[in-house]
Amino acid sequence: MQHYLDVFIAILPFLWTGFVQTFWVSLVAIAAGSVLGFLIGVVRSQRIPFFHRLFGLYIHILRGTPFLVQLYVFYFVLPNTGIEALQWSSEMAAFVSLSVYTSSYVAEIIMAAIDAVPKGQWEAATALGFKRLSILALVVLPQALKLAVPPMSGVYVNIIKNTAILSVIGISELTRQGEISIMRFPRDVLFIYGVIALVYFVYCYPVLRFTRWAERKVGGTRVVNLD
Amino acid sequence: MNWVLDFYNYRIVEQYLDRFAEGLENTLVAAALSLIAAVVLGTLLALCRMSSRALLWRPVAGYVAFILATPLLVQIYLIYYGLPILVPATARWSELALGIIALSLHNAAYMSEIVRGGIASVPRGQIEGGKAVGMSYPQRLRYIVLPQAFANTLPPLLGQTAVLIKDTSLLSIIAVFDFLSAGLLLNSERVRPNESFLTIAAGYLAIYVVMLALSSVVKRWLAGPAWNAGA
Repeated sequence: MQHYLDVFIAILPFLWTGFVQTFWVSLVAIAAGSVLGFLIGVVRSQRIPFFHRLFGLYIHILRGTPFLVQLYVFYFVLPNTGIEALQWSSEMAAFVSLSVYTSSYVAEIIMAAIDAVPKGQWEAATALGFKRLSILALVVLPQALKLAVPPMSGVYVNIIKNTAILSVIGISELTRQGEISIMRFPRDVLFIYGVIALVYFVYCYPVLRFTRWAERKVGGTRVVNLD
Repeated sequence: MNWVLDFYNYRIVEQYLDRFAEGLENTLVAAALSLIAAVVLGTLLALCRMSSRALLWRPVAGYVAFILATPLLVQIYLIYYGLPILVPATARWSELALGIIALSLHNAAYMSEIVRGGIASVPRGQIEGGKAVGMSYPQRLRYIVLPQAFANTLPPLLGQTAVLIKDTSLLSIIAVFDFLSAGLLLNSERVRPNESFLTIAAGYLAIYVVMLALSSVVKRWLAGPAWNAGA
């Protein structure tokens, strides 16, 4: 027992740096991905012929490939194109790929939520002489965003979990810090990964509970299937 | 044609074709075996979770919460490094076997939630009807609940299967030679990221398209002829 306590105290600084990194990466990716996804979702909900299909393809490509493969594409393939702006660091590649990945899920949720607002709301606002953009901003989106809360928080759990994959390109987040700690204490592999799992659990579980709570609150209608 | 070869030299990919095939085989084997194990285990977990005995449902609820709230990669590490310590007999098992165990345990939790949702969607009156005509618990399960739950479960189950196939790519991190590893091998030997990763991405996309087609066929099949005539 004393041994485990010693190991725990020894790896505590690593855990803390790792957690802070995980926390920031997930937060920034969630923010950027949500903004991007929101825009795409709103455009797609308007069924503008060309753009609807184009962004549909974008979503399918991002959903049809594993995040790990997308990360490798952003890390290896894009800097290889020779374009100056894409010669980014591994942090930037990690952040951009995670945000783009997030945006595909958010876009689907936002579109489904906008579609779930009854058509009569559109018609009534049109009858009152509102323009399309003001209907969207003043009538439909306020109702749609409420519907989007439960699935969005589900996606956030997913994003937090996916930050673990960033360890493969050397981002020093929680899982990577665990690997580093294991180099010091190779016999305590199980214990260290157990602690790492626990830290993720403490971060994700409240969000997961919030998702369940919000689902019940909104009325239990699951607008989109997660994953 | 030169710029095509500069960007994507398919001749290099051709040389690695059998490596890609080998990787694809391992990916599909891992996905298929862990899918079967996860569905079986997930159904058992769902039944335990719905039991009224606290000794049965509490541990299962804790297990599901743990799986849902921790990254798959960490779970894979826990099994890959931890299982041989806990069960010495597994120390000589291949990475693929340990990876399949990790994926099965991970997906069993998701499957149990899906099956539970399917069972919960069977109206209470159906079960009461079964009780009224004197059916035992296994009979009610076999003839009333599971057939109806199955129809409600199949669409989300297919969705989870698509996720599972994508998740097998994480096995490349514990040195399973899966489809993604074939691309990593090409990149490390030839330093051609386009040929390796774009091929891999296209391969996974092809699998995804097959899964999409399959799920739309299943949806039409489940809805039945009467529904489809109207649509």
